[in-house]
Amino acid sequence: MALLHTPSVVIHVTDYGESDKIVTLYTLKYGKAVAIAKGAKRSKKRFVNKLEYFSLLDILAATGKYSSLLRIDQAELVNPFPSLRKSVDRYIGAMLICELMRLWTRENDCDELLYNLLIWSLEKLDCGQSVIDTIIFFQLRMLKLLGYQLSLSACVSCGSELSAASSFLFNPAQNGLVCKRCTSFKGGSHFPLLSMNTIKTLEMAQTLSLEKLSRLKFANQSARETVSLLRTYIPYLLQKDVHSWKQLEAIRMLP
Amino acid sequence: MEWVLISRGCSSLISVLPPALERLIDDLSRLPGIGKKTATRLALHLLRRPAEEARNLAHDLADLHDAIGLCSHCFAFSETNPCAICSDERRDSRLICVVEESADLLAIEKTGAFSGQYHILHGVLSPIDGIGPDEIKIGALTRRVVKEKVAEILIATSSTVPGEATASFLIDQLGKTGARVSRLACGIPMGMDIKYADEMTLRQAIESRKTFGNG
Repeated sequence: MALLHTPSVVIHVTDYGESDKIVTLYTLKYGKAVAIAKGAKRSKKRFVNKLEYFSLLDILAATGKYSSLLRIDQAELVNPFPSLRKSVDRYIGAMLICELMRLWTRENDCDELLYNLLIWSLEKLDCGQSVIDTIIFFQLRMLKLLGYQLSLSACVSCGSELSAASSFLFNPAQNGLVCKRCTSFKGGSHFPLLSMNTIKTLEMAQTLSLEKLSRLKFANQSARETVSLLRTYIPYLLQKDVHSWKQLEAIRMLP
Repeated sequence: MEWVLISRGCSSLISVLPPALERLIDDLSRLPGIGKKTATRLALHLLRRPAEEARNLAHDLADLHDAIGLCSHCFAFSETNPCAICSDERRDSRLICVVEESADLLAIEKTGAFSGQYHILHGVLSPIDGIGPDEIKIGALTRRVVKEKVAEILIATSSTVPGEATASFLIDQLGKTGARVSRLACGIPMGMDIKYADEMTLRQAIESRKTFGNG
């Protein structure tokens, strides 16, 4: 039985039995990890106010003998990101990020860049940056880190260059833009339409450093087109619905 | 009735149980906090007890959904509609306490400090699990506040992240109705030494401090 000591973010919490909690963490050193916190619901000192959604913790956990379930022995709260619980749009935005982290990652598969992106996104939401811009940036950068970067330089079917006059559609199956001529052959009239302005903003969002990224702003139309693209592309790749999108829609947060 | 136990692990043990017992174990293990082992122990206990006890339990279980429904007013589990609290004229119908679950209502009732009525949400906002404002009783609460000209709504959701976010959403929504909206105080528990309180709790306690006298 080994002891693991790592910074980690709580991305899912569920009650287990009378007094335990099962916590899904995204850790710096071990990637996604699922852990049990014994007595967490009744704890008055050891775990109180710590095993909450979005909390950045420093945890000490023991590996199990027969399963991959860790046992949390100690948790120090580093940052609870308190603003995320005071505004429902920030809360749902952060939930979307956690849901995607949970769906896209595997246990024991660490990725420091992805961990840093998660922390960056939660910090931006916590300090009052635009919710829609932050969740778009998170998803674009996450797709890039996972090897699904959007191909935005030319039509992926015929190779025709982007010209200022044309708009393109995004084909999820080909992971990139297709011109209207190629779309008419392939019956892709339902693909999300992207204007030239949106394509340029997306290119910048994929390449700028995280320090500069928060200065980039999506215009209303670009945000609308990008949200439509991401809501088509990510469920296509995952073959699963992402619940939090629907809740952002329910509180009329989507552009 | 005869059956043989073969000690080759739990799964092979279950497979030789009589089908009726196996069905009961399956049913019991669907209950929260009950695994296969506990379900087996409970099922065997019921089998050892007189048949009358098992019949009474089955009868009570069968009656549960027929006898108990949701109060159309506050959504508490009740045998009557409206429930005993909503139909009690001594309670202040212009003061409503909003709680997540029925168990929270019981906890507040035990204090004896609240004399208004309740509204049970039956959950909190949890987007990751697909639970949004339409899945819990928020719409019904807003309609009730407007219709009954409620003077004050006390939001008593838990101080977890989903509980706080739900409270924020309710404060936004109910603020538009013109009613006074208050939130259950959050801070140092009775009997706790300040030096052992966590930073978040202590900060919350300072922010929601109470003024006395002329201050």
